Amino acid sequence: MPSVTAVIALFIFLAGTLAGALGALLGLGGGVFLVPFLNLVLGFPFTVAAAISLTTVIATSSSVSAARAGKQLINMKLGMLLEVATAGGSFLGGITAQFLSQSLLQKLFGSVAVIVAIIMLTRLKRRNVILDPAADPGVLGGRYHEDESGGVVTYRVKRLPVAIGASFVAGNVSSLLGIGGGIIKVPILNAWCGIPLRAAAATSAFMIGVTATAGATIYYGQGQLEPALAAAAVLGVQLGSWGGMRFGAAASAKWLKVLMAVVLFIVSAMMFARGGR
Amino acid sequence: MKIEQTIGVVLRGGVIISSVCLAAGLALALVNGEGGVAGILLRTGILVLLATPVARVVVSIAKYASERDWAFTLLTVIVLAELLASATAALVFNRRL
Repeated sequence: MPSVTAVIALFIFLAGTLAGALGALLGLGGGVFLVPFLNLVLGFPFTVAAAISLTTVIATSSSVSAARAGKQLINMKLGMLLEVATAGGSFLGGITAQFLSQSLLQKLFGSVAVIVAIIMLTRLKRRNVILDPAADPGVLGGRYHEDESGGVVTYRVKRLPVAIGASFVAGNVSSLLGIGGGIIKVPILNAWCGIPLRAAAATSAFMIGVTATAGATIYYGQGQLEPALAAAAVLGVQLGSWGGMRFGAAASAKWLKVLMAVVLFIVSAMMFARGGR
Repeated sequence: MKIEQTIGVVLRGGVIISSVCLAAGLALALVNGEGGVAGILLRTGILVLLATPVARVVVSIAKYASERDWAFTLLTVIVLAELLASATAALVFNRRL
């Protein structure tokens, strides 16, 4: 277990700030950047890096959802239903992670990083479809006011089994690799299940707190979560995501997405190189 | 209070309490080392952070039950059971080592 010094704490705080800001600008959690930094740059064991990252996922989920609660962008009923799948997947992932070697976890991370990069590149120009505002959203659908268009967006949930399956996989990957998992379920909820991108992203951000808790608790029990290091990361990510949301517009972040996709390809290559040894 | 507002209050409260504990604990740990008060503050901060989503699920169960929405009461009870299973697994791992 790495011990905390002022220099290490400062490094982790700054890395957390950067990861949080990038996460807020790109609409994904910062874990996909924080885990490789802690594992590859600072040399922490993979499980220690994943445990720290999961605590930042919980903090981001709680603070972002607290700010959004009551604005109807979060579809709470759908979120609670899908949490049954994400929390189950996360519980199994947290246990599985205890039995996998560091090199296998690194290769898994490398694979997921490539998928994330490709998703980011293929979704540069996606827009929401505005549906008939008079439609009945059903039990699981939703209705929210969109500030930009000034209109009310109403949607129904299609292909629920797909949403549940994607949530289970996202939960599993989340606690295995220490990321939020939104990057896996948000594109699927949007593309196949009829949920507008902003509602899917807000609902996912709401769910990942519970998802990450199921995984982080297991790491904590295993003694892989060092509280002082997690504190530095959580405070950094909170500052970074606050700054990212305040000063950045996700719409103008196209060049940033391309840049980050390139970074993720490099991260993936490094993970494979390290995991292959 | 509507369920969304109640959940907002729980989440915000959890974030503020855990952040304050973690910030104070980290500052103390850097000055005096991780033992004593610093250790207690850091562990409290982590536990409050982990407990916040659990508290949100518990509040949801109470709200859905009071609205007699039994389908969603059951779903949220299952989520709580999964979180408790994680905590149980954590204790089992802890004892084994």
